[in-house]
Amino acid sequence: MSDTHSASPDGEHRGLFVPREAKIIHTSRPTASEKHFTLQLASGEPLKFTPGQILEVGVMGYGEVPIGIASSPTREASFDIVVRTVGRVTTAINEREVGDSLWIRGPLGHGFELEALRGNDVLIVAGGIGLCPTRSLVEYILDRREEFGRFTLFYGARDPLQLLFTEDRVAWRGSADVDYFETVDRADATWSGNVGVITTLFHKTTSITPDTRVVICGPPIMFEFVLRELDVLGVARENIYVDLERRMKCGVGKCGHCQINDKYCCIDGPVFTFAEIHELEEAI
Amino acid sequence: MRTLFLGAREFAPFVDLLIGSTRVIGPVAKRQKFVFAELESSGDLRLDYDVTILPPKKVFFPPVQPLVCFDAASVRDCIDPVPTVLLGVHPYDVKGIDMTDLLFRERHADWNYLGQREATTIVASGVQSVAPRAFWASIGTEIAPVGHDAFLTAIDGGYVFEPRTPKGVALARHGAFREATPEEIAAAERANAEAAERCSRALPYTSAEIAERVRAAFRDEAMWDALALDCFSCGSCNTVCPTCYCFDVRDTWNLDQTSGTRSRYWDACLTREFASVTMAGGEKENFREHHQSRFRHRFMRKAAYLNEKLGGPACTGCGRCAAACTADIADPVRVITTIMEATA
Amino acid sequence: MAQLRIAFFDFASCEGCQIEFTNYGDVATLQLLEHVEIVEFREAMTETTDGRIDVAFVEGSFTREADRARLQEIRARARTVVAYGACACTGGINALKNHQDDFAEYVYGDAARMPHLRSGTARPISAAIKVDYEVRGCPMSKDELLLVLSNLIHGTEHWVPTYPVCVECKRRETICRYDEGDHCMGQVARAGCGAPCPADGVPCEACRGFVEDANLNALERVLVDRGGLSQRRAVGKSRMFTANPRS
Repeated sequence: MSDTHSASPDGEHRGLFVPREAKIIHTSRPTASEKHFTLQLASGEPLKFTPGQILEVGVMGYGEVPIGIASSPTREASFDIVVRTVGRVTTAINEREVGDSLWIRGPLGHGFELEALRGNDVLIVAGGIGLCPTRSLVEYILDRREEFGRFTLFYGARDPLQLLFTEDRVAWRGSADVDYFETVDRADATWSGNVGVITTLFHKTTSITPDTRVVICGPPIMFEFVLRELDVLGVARENIYVDLERRMKCGVGKCGHCQINDKYCCIDGPVFTFAEIHELEEAI
Repeated sequence: MRTLFLGAREFAPFVDLLIGSTRVIGPVAKRQKFVFAELESSGDLRLDYDVTILPPKKVFFPPVQPLVCFDAASVRDCIDPVPTVLLGVHPYDVKGIDMTDLLFRERHADWNYLGQREATTIVASGVQSVAPRAFWASIGTEIAPVGHDAFLTAIDGGYVFEPRTPKGVALARHGAFREATPEEIAAAERANAEAAERCSRALPYTSAEIAERVRAAFRDEAMWDALALDCFSCGSCNTVCPTCYCFDVRDTWNLDQTSGTRSRYWDACLTREFASVTMAGGEKENFREHHQSRFRHRFMRKAAYLNEKLGGPACTGCGRCAAACTADIADPVRVITTIMEATA
Repeated sequence: MAQLRIAFFDFASCEGCQIEFTNYGDVATLQLLEHVEIVEFREAMTETTDGRIDVAFVEGSFTREADRARLQEIRARARTVVAYGACACTGGINALKNHQDDFAEYVYGDAARMPHLRSGTARPISAAIKVDYEVRGCPMSKDELLLVLSNLIHGTEHWVPTYPVCVECKRRETICRYDEGDHCMGQVARAGCGAPCPADGVPCEACRGFVEDANLNALERVLVDRGGLSQRRAVGKSRMFTANPRS
């Protein structure tokens, strides 16, 4: 019966669930619950990915969770993730420090359609932690600025303490390369900026046209309201990209947890065009 | 490949010789029910079984399966296939295996499944006893069972053995087979046709009709509420299904507390937290919060969502879900008939 | 990893959960002892402690006001308190007495006036002190306790399934009690035990309580229609381990 041994899979195939080691080279704590990691693969190779793709990030013995990559592939020396402490795995991840390792699989999933965005005006609407996966695209556009048209970024958070990427935001505010607008749902004494939900930012700019390519990422409740605004502005559904969050476990389209009707968020997404999903009852 | 025959008296020595040379898994009795288990001798084999509690997919995709083993120094896969003969798989279960083969192979090939799958020789067998809730003769008839290496049918005086692959041909070397006569081949065909006629339950619709109407019924909330009223969200319909392949992944440490395993566990989309995500502050967002929506999701998966990929429904008609549901609401014959009649 | 100082305490209970802890066998126990130091465990040693404890495992329900001070004293010197077993987590079977006045006579007859039988309402120990983790079950599963310990050693939470016992029962390919002409409550009972009872031919009594959103209407119907129980028994049946949560 030795012939049954014949199909000896090669190393790459066998490794579907085997993570790669990534060294933590820098960390910061942008908010009380989030931790920003800068990582390098222990092998020394750059991580090759498309903005919008995800990683399964874990600590051996504790488990792994899907996290969007928060930096651009144009910056090859390292890559970033931002992890919010919500459960036991994210708690374990956020207890790791510089010099420790995280274990990653990926990049996984379907990222942003860069070819479809190139040459066009782009609007990114990011709510809360939704700025993390979209930051990858923000950096990408800024690094290849001449390949894109007008670039607008909306960012909203619940309150000023929840705002991420302070240094980036200072730079974006002063940059001619991006029209950056931010808002908080509830202000505090330190806040002098816009107050209100993210859709209030649509009135601050006239650069959104029916031809603008729009990327949305944020809490489920945000999508509905942003899509309503875009409808009013006449943006075509094919030109709207949504970055969806579901409970991804395996990240490779097997385990079934992230299904939205017949789509798997982890391999068909997490980035979908609105046209692809607007008829899926379970999507938004 | 020539069709062979093995006399009734030669069958036990054939199975025992196989057991002597490799791991052989087949249907055995567990009190009044049946399960696939490793055979210790040919006497254990019960080819007259109606249906097993769990489908044979467990050989490649066990209820708990290690994926990654780790210790302080290394992280590695735990793929360790054991050469196996899987004996006595009914055609509906071969179809189930065909489906999981495709689903674990597509896009990202999953060698934690495929490793053992490729190390396994499957001998299908004709159905001798039909389970009371079975309806395999009428569902997905456009899909023929593929993934087996030989097909065995009991007839008067012995067994007709049809090798389908070189692996199947090789198996015959373990027994005193001879070429089957045309009469024996005809008797086997008759036996299998008669078994199909004994399937008392049926879905008299095409797969395309079912897929279209089930999908169209998605928003009929009142109907799903009524169908799922007594649902326990217990996941038994999922757990016994030959085409369900959802899993959860969890890590555990060994007793030494430094090494451990990342394993996958059969999961069930009918259970309450299957599609629930922990959000900020520990709050949960459950994308299928109500048992009606989970119940509906299962029928969408079985009757509509995967059809394009599989060429037909992700249901083999084995009837295990119908029998396993203590509230008796999971029966695809009843649910699909209700949908078809309501929308007729 | 530093060794954890662990101690066991008991209140109103049969101490069966503590006995479970002595059932690991030599190999497992010896390996475990490399990571934990047992400083008080009346089932197996005479030494006691009044010092700091990393993990206090508390068995039994809180039934006398006098127990409150003892529980508070344990809480004050324990970093983590684990309630283990049904009695400690929910009041368990002891809570059945909360629904009747004549329980002592009912159980003990003429001996009902023995002084130690004087007790109040059976409550979970969380009614007296803050509990960090619960390990449910009657008795608790020793395999699960090992996982809890392992997670405590690694400073993380223990994962508890939210699905019912049917999932674990099917995974081990047990014949359904209903297929044996029996009844069972595995459809609504919290899992995590590994479903040992149906595998041994005994119906699930839901000793870990019910899952959230348990479909009790359907349970009663199935207990009557398929399990052959009377309507009255079907209703009472599901109370055995849930007398407190439902009172």
